Amino acid sequence: MGLLTDPRSGQGKLTKLLIRFYKKFCVLLYVGGIFWFCALASPSLNANTYFSENALLPGLVKSMFQEDKAAMRYYEELVDETDKYDNSIPYPWLLAKFSQIGLDAYTHNFTLKSPLNPKEKYVGKNVYGILRAPRASSTEALVLSVPYRPPSSIYPPTLPSIAIALAFAKFAVRGKYWAKDIIFLVTDHEQLGVQAWLEAYYGVTCGNEGTLIHGDLKGRAGAIQAAINLELHSTKIGNIDIKIESLNGQLPNLDLVNLASKICAKEGVYYTFKGKGIKYIRNMYKEWKYYFKNMLSMISTQSTGIPNGNHGLFLRFGIQALTLEGFEQSKNGARVGFLTIGRVIEGIFRSMNNLLERFHQSFFFYLLPSPDRYISIGLYMPAICLIAAALIIKACAKWCQLHETNQKETQQSEAVGTIVGNTVPNINYLGVIILSVTMHLTGAFLTALPELVIPLASNFEVNVSHTVVLCLLGVILSTLFIPFVLGRLRRCSASMDFLCIISLLELGTALICLAMNNFSLGIICGILSVPFALLIRPTTCKYYSAIQKLFWLIVHPATILFIVVLVNTKLMFKQEDAKEVLFRAVDATEQSILYSITDSMIYGNWLYTVVTSIFISNWLCFWCVACSSIPKPVVSSEKKND
Amino acid sequence: MKMSTLSSKHAKKKENTYFLQSCSKVVLLLCLAAFLRYLVMSSKYQTIIANHFEISTPICSWKRVQEGLFLLSRNIDPYDGDLLHETPTALIFYKIMSQNVFRDVSLMFIFFDIGTALLLYAATRHYAKQFHQEHRDRTKYPKDVHEYLPSEGYYEKVPLYVLVAFLFNPYTFLGCVGYSTAGIHNFFLALFVFGMVYGSPIVSSLALAICSSVSFYPLILLSPLYIYYSQVYKSKTKALLVVLYFLTYVYLITFYNNSLSKSFKFINNVYGSIWTVPDLQPNIGLFWYFFTEVFDHFRELFIHSFQINATILYLVPLSIKFSNRPFILTIALLFLITIFKSYPCLSDLGFVLSFLPNFLHLYAFCQQGVIVGVILFMTSCLAPTLWHLWIYSASANANFYFGVTLAYAIAQIFLVTDILFAQTKWEFTLKHGREAKIDGEDADLSLE
Repeated sequence: MGLLTDPRSGQGKLTKLLIRFYKKFCVLLYVGGIFWFCALASPSLNANTYFSENALLPGLVKSMFQEDKAAMRYYEELVDETDKYDNSIPYPWLLAKFSQIGLDAYTHNFTLKSPLNPKEKYVGKNVYGILRAPRASSTEALVLSVPYRPPSSIYPPTLPSIAIALAFAKFAVRGKYWAKDIIFLVTDHEQLGVQAWLEAYYGVTCGNEGTLIHGDLKGRAGAIQAAINLELHSTKIGNIDIKIESLNGQLPNLDLVNLASKICAKEGVYYTFKGKGIKYIRNMYKEWKYYFKNMLSMISTQSTGIPNGNHGLFLRFGIQALTLEGFEQSKNGARVGFLTIGRVIEGIFRSMNNLLERFHQSFFFYLLPSPDRYISIGLYMPAICLIAAALIIKACAKWCQLHETNQKETQQSEAVGTIVGNTVPNINYLGVIILSVTMHLTGAFLTALPELVIPLASNFEVNVSHTVVLCLLGVILSTLFIPFVLGRLRRCSASMDFLCIISLLELGTALICLAMNNFSLGIICGILSVPFALLIRPTTCKYYSAIQKLFWLIVHPATILFIVVLVNTKLMFKQEDAKEVLFRAVDATEQSILYSITDSMIYGNWLYTVVTSIFISNWLCFWCVACSSIPKPVVSSEKKND
Repeated sequence: MKMSTLSSKHAKKKENTYFLQSCSKVVLLLCLAAFLRYLVMSSKYQTIIANHFEISTPICSWKRVQEGLFLLSRNIDPYDGDLLHETPTALIFYKIMSQNVFRDVSLMFIFFDIGTALLLYAATRHYAKQFHQEHRDRTKYPKDVHEYLPSEGYYEKVPLYVLVAFLFNPYTFLGCVGYSTAGIHNFFLALFVFGMVYGSPIVSSLALAICSSVSFYPLILLSPLYIYYSQVYKSKTKALLVVLYFLTYVYLITFYNNSLSKSFKFINNVYGSIWTVPDLQPNIGLFWYFFTEVFDHFRELFIHSFQINATILYLVPLSIKFSNRPFILTIALLFLITIFKSYPCLSDLGFVLSFLPNFLHLYAFCQQGVIVGVILFMTSCLAPTLWHLWIYSASANANFYFGVTLAYAIAQIFLVTDILFAQTKWEFTLKHGREAKIDGEDADLSLE
């Protein structure tokens, strides 16, 4: 209990040490955090994946699927059929096939009112068939979903996966062992179809009311336990890529990922994660580099919070899901046909059929540096915690320092017996708190801005999307001038220090909370913003002030977005000249902002909300500190500028 | 002579204007707080906040009261199920308040919150004045400790800070907006403190009887009450009269409860459920996790030890230590109840935190203020995040959430020990001066 009762702790030596060494300590913490993060990819820190849930093992035993001929037949028929429909799903054929096989077949209609223009409407149609489980009373279900892509689609075709799904249905109908219903879902319009179907299944709306009108379902099965989304681009498959990153950075249970990879391995299918398979490398450095690259690749996808497949929308409903994407090209020329793919699906579904409880055993929070290795939350959280701790330590140290200097100066002034007056800084708590609240209200205003602007803009004959982005940009630019109207508060060093302290605390807490939800986004924000946030302080030095302003402008979320897009564009269009690339980048930035707004309206993606309401408001608080103009002390005392 | 009367008149006038000024400030703050509360209450966020279990525990959820009122209106005994944990008297009180006095429930909660704030303001104003008077004569103390004595204007500042700390405390704010009946319980606790400070045995014992009838924890506040009146009357036997008052009130309330409910079922539903914690719905306390994990045949043992920890374990030592400072004893006990009770909610913490400005003079002696503040802030942000991940995303689990509530409890324990220790040090310093030296060397204070 020394910490609680020892009078020497706290104000004593510990505080003095903290005040003396906090700068070095903060740097150490930040560097330590980054070092830890990089070390995660080292094989000594991550572990081999393993099955936690024994109930999943039976599917690994023996495969019975033999309907590859039927699959080929379905495929040929389907290719003929799609030619008759330009843009819509060939639902009569699908319905007929589902009924023929013996499933309950239904269609599902949905409508999308364009979020950027309420007058525009799009309609879509999903087709689904339900295989009723012979051994249970429709209380639980599994989903096999396939996106339907018309020949005109810009994405690679998925017709083979519809064919194999039908063949698997034909095979599964005869099985006596199904304890869970299997829903075969063919969706229209990529993610919109899945989202609408799920919303209709549960009768909820995830995005804004009245944007995606999900309609109603005529047939339902039980509570959905897991879903597999199948995207095969060819009848001959060279490798299967497992995709897991979902909406808002959620991940499916690691057991499901293990299941998919183990069964692929068992059937002899070459499987990859982020396009990289299992590799054994002798050289330690090369091994680390290989894992690190894969890990970064996963982090870059997860951080956007945008699902990289149709599986991504299931997770919000507590349904564990992943996408199996099959490509034709292979490493060594070996390809597998419908027979093997059918057996992979059979294995996965028979294993999941055996589940007694929903997925809960294995990890939900992990990073994968390779398909067979994982980094658990207990290992990766210290990285972001160290980085955030740098902020919090600095806040504590600054607070102690502020307190100490205040005390010292009071004592000095008492000792001299004269009133020193202005040199004893009094913190204007009220002013600082009001300022901070105003900044957060500005952030909230930015969050709500699209919803305010869109109905207004659609009344006039203007381009809605341009207007929204211009309005956002206008507000962001005008907020940059807030610090300059502050007057006295801006010149008070102690108040600005206090504002800096609460902003540091807020940023630290926000980073940890964010990393709990979406580690990738958290670590990226942490690595980018923390060093600059540590630099910021109210200062009398003009050059330092200019430098910190410049640095802080660079880490404005909008600037970062633009830089990221610019680099991406440059890499994509290497031949074009700089001017062209710049124009493209501006265009792409606008598009990405609009995408994040529409995503938040349709799917309930919170990236836009979090960035505007938390990060921009916090950024503005720091901006006020950076823009403070502290008058130089008249008396050349030994006062430290810190 | 004339001069002195003139100056005293002048001082009085000055005080009057000062009083008016502070009055206008208080009214302004109250109006602002009420307006902000009403603003959030009428927004769509009200239901979200009200459904958060950090705010509505089984004991203080307004939803359950409504359910009970409905059952009552249909002539069904509301204590038949395991739903309602309020006493029959409280139920009738809510019925009258929500149906006859206030048509709008939100106004009722705002009214009681404002009432609590005013009572706290009045109580701390009186107390701070007393405290200031007590330490006015600076010659009694060593010279180097004068800066630790309450300064001029202390008794103007402190009550205003208390008022702000109560009205704009996010914890009480959310509790009020989320219709937590703990806000109304706090009103009576504030009334108790008010009655005690103003030396009215009838008010204070009645308020304490009401508080203890709602949830037996405030029973232990009888100790500071007794100590206080034994100081006021300067006789220990006379102070027993207050205890007698209290017992009479408790008897009357229980009698009234019985006559209302016509059965003793409510005792099991109110006190039984608070004592034995049958509802293990997660909350910010320390009970739920432990009792979901513990084997059933050990449950009895641990329930009683946990409850003894929450009630009488600290009562005796603290009562002895702070026998000359009943006000501080009250706050310390309130703190301990908030930390260790079976169904704590945010309003409870908000209420006790708003007493903190009373310890302004201890500021120099407190050591863990920053740590506590940082932990409280971080846990308050992390808790809803992890709750979301656990319940809605179905990805995190109970351990994550419990980790946060543990840190939250530790922060509160740090805070209360820090304050109590600072008080002891402060008293010591006033007596012996700042420079504590033993044989010419710097001495260290330590608790043993």
